[in-house]
Formats: sequence, structure tokens, C-alpha cells
Amino acid sequence: MKRLLAIAITVALVFPTVAAATTKNTTGPATEALQKPIDAGIALLRDPQYQTPDKKTIQRDKIWDIIKPAFDFRVISIRSLGRNWRQFSDAEKAEFTEVFAKLLGNTYIGKIQGEYHDETVRFLGEEKLSEDKVIVNTEIVRKTGKIPVDYAMYHEKNGTWRVYDVKVEGIGLVLNYRRQFDDYLATPGNTPAKLIAQLKEKVKAQ
Amino acid sequence: MIRACGRGKRRPVGLGAIGFLVIIALVFSFSVAPAMAAAKAKKSGGDDSAWADDSDLFGGSLYQGAPKVADPLEPLNRVVFQFNDKLYFWVLKPVAKGYKFVVPEPARVGVRNFFYNLLTPVRLVNCLLQGKIKDGGAELGAFYVNTTVGILGIWRPSEREPSLKGSDEDLGQTLASWGVGNGIYLVVPVFGPSTLRDAAGKVADGFLDPVMYVNPTEAAVGIDAFKTVNNTSLRLGDYESIKKAALDPYIAFRNGYLQYRIKQIRE
Repeated sequence: MKRLLAIAITVALVFPTVAAATTKNTTGPATEALQKPIDAGIALLRDPQYQTPDKKTIQRDKIWDIIKPAFDFRVISIRSLGRNWRQFSDAEKAEFTEVFAKLLGNTYIGKIQGEYHDETVRFLGEEKLSEDKVIVNTEIVRKTGKIPVDYAMYHEKNGTWRVYDVKVEGIGLVLNYRRQFDDYLATPGNTPAKLIAQLKEKVKAQ
Repeated sequence: MIRACGRGKRRPVGLGAIGFLVIIALVFSFSVAPAMAAAKAKKSGGDDSAWADDSDLFGGSLYQGAPKVADPLEPLNRVVFQFNDKLYFWVLKPVAKGYKFVVPEPARVGVRNFFYNLLTPVRLVNCLLQGKIKDGGAELGAFYVNTTVGILGIWRPSEREPSLKGSDEDLGQTLASWGVGNGIYLVVPVFGPSTLRDAAGKVADGFLDPVMYVNPTEAAVGIDAFKTVNNTSLRLGDYESIKKAALDPYIAFRNGYLQYRIKQIRE
């Protein structure tokens, strides 16, 4: 034990990067499809020309445009609604997808914009779920610590990999919203139209 | 931000007071950010109904045993949730903001690390109770290195050595590993989301917290409050974001807590 500790101390002091170097990196097309927009988004966050308050809306829209294609908000909406999806008319499905994406987008892009301090994203590897589904493991590295973020991605026949769920610190986005939507729609008097109106209200309040 | 140490090891943020309420705040923290993006009205991959199927929530193993917990006290829990929410916005947040303004970030991280190191007994004992001898050894090794080289745990040189990655265990997780279920969901005043099992575990774990043995009790409470303010100052904005993005924050935090614990129990 003593020797192990001596070695540990030596390693800690002499080779600060050893831990990083030992992380196994298996990447694939899914990682690539995710890494590009994330890198581009971070570049925009750092871009000095958007640092004044009046440029924040432009910056947000640009980040949105870059990140958007990496996510499949239709599938995220379907999965978040689960069985309830079938109660929605075609128009409601489209409307819900749009407002739900907007709610997530506004909230979280606004949040990063507000407190971006040189965070970086490290890609740790991929886990294969099936032929067309993988989980891409990443972590956000901040000065104050690390946050694990896993992206579940699938690809369509034409080969585009897109995100259909996100887990942060083990907490999955889709499941979290499904519980909320289930509860909401199970309450007597609540309808898909009402849910959409409620989400629109939330977006407006932002 | 919630983590001072490497993968698989989390600071027991929750052990401070309202810190616990905000624990899940990390949750979507900055990263879901990419989750924005405009709606996709176009048809996507295959048959819609395949995605809507409840039995296969996330394509295989993504959410094994999607968690649900009995919540017979929901009306009361919702009141306490509101109380904690107000406590955060009216008391904790303003104090943490002022503190953040005065104390530079590296110092606040150092304080957080110090308290994390101090809770090694909790993690060590629970590693052993779960038969995780190796993780327990790693906790001990990390404690030794961080207390000496890291000067009373203010720095965490152990993070650079993979073999010193311990495991953030607590009694709630130990009980779970012995087959004890959640019991019912509870929102504890000041502390936030919990379950009967986890709350009981937390009380018992408290006996392994050196701060609890500080005399007089007022001083111990003061130290705990300071720890909470410090740790909160490193997470300001997280709770607000999740709340803003949620349709029903109460359910969002209930489910978030359960998912977070399942991940911890699994590790």
C-alpha cells in the first residue's frame, strides 16, 4: 500500500496528463456528426464579435442553426410523448415538435451564453446499441469540474446520424419529459392543444 | 461543475443543505444546450409508432427499468417543493451571489474539495458495506494523497491517478444494493428531493460527517450553511434553467432525482 501511494504521488505530480492519455477513444461516424456542430458552436461562443449584449440574439440564432441539424426533434418529441403522440392530430404533431424544440433551445442556449467560461467538450468514445444506434459519451470540462453527457444517436437510411436523446449526469431528457407530459395529459380537461398552448406560453415568457 | 473528481466520482453536493435541491440542477446544465434547434416537421426515420412504443423507451439498454416511485404524499411534497423553491430564490441564491462576488472561483473550488475530502468516511464505509474493497482502498489512498499533497484536501492531486478513483457511495446506495427499495418519494424541507430509503441513509451517514461533531451545535450548523452557500455559488443558474425548461418542475425534479440515483447505484 505504501509503495502504491508513493507511486501514486509521483505519478500525480510528474505526469499530470496521464489520466487523460489513458482514456480509450473509439470514434465513428456518429461522433463525427456530433463533434463538428459542437466544435462550431463553441467557436461561436468564443468569437469576440458576439461578446456584447446586443449581439447575443444573433449569436444564439447562429448557434441554433449549427446545432439543429444534429438533433432529430421529431423523434425526440415522439419519444417524449410516448403513447400520447397518437392523440395528436398531424397539425398538432408539427406544432408540438416546433414549440418543444424552441423551449429546449431557448432555455439552454441562453444558459450557456450567459455563463460560458471556456468550457470544452471531450469525446470519450462510442457504445454501440444496435446496427443503427449508438451512444456517444462525452464530458463537459469546466474549471470547476466535469459533467458527463451522453448522446443517443441513430442514423437514417441515407446515413445522417442524429441525436434522439441526451443524458446529463445520468438523467435522460426524454424520460424526464415523458413523465411530465404523461402526468399533464392524464389530468382531466387537459388536451394536446392545451399542452401546446402551455409550452408556447413558456417560450414567450423567456 | 458538480464534480471535483474524475468520472464515476461525484462530490456529495447533496450533503449540504439546499445543495441537495439543486443537485439535479446539473442535470441538463450547459450541455443539453446543443439540444436546441428548431423543429423538424419532416418525416424522420421509419415508422413513428416504433419510437412511441413505451416498452422500448430508448432503443434497448438506454433506460433499463425506467424509474417510477410511489408518491402518496404528493400534495404535501409539492408544498415543501414550493417552500424550498422560495428558500432558494429568497435566501440561498442572493447569499451565494454575494459570496461569489467576493470570493474567487479557485478558492471556492478549494473549499468544496476540502469538504468533499472530509466526507471520506461516509464513502469509505459504504464502499466496504457494499463489498467494494478496491474502491474503498482508492478512497483511502485519495484521502491520504489529497490531505497531504493536496493540503487538507483543498486540491485533489488524486484525480490524476486512475487507481485512486474511489466511488461516491452513501448509505442509500448501500441499502439499494442490499435490495431495499425507495419506499416513497419525499421532498425534505431545505434538503430537497429524496426517498424514504435515501433520507434514512442520509441521517445515518451524518454520523460519519466530522462536521456533526463540532461543538457547539450552532457552529456545526454554521459550517454546514457555509458549505451549502459555497457549493451553491459554483452551480448558480442550474436550478433556474431546469425549472424554466420544465412543464411541471415538481415532476421534472422527482424523475431527475430517481434517474440520478439509479445511475449512482449502478456505479
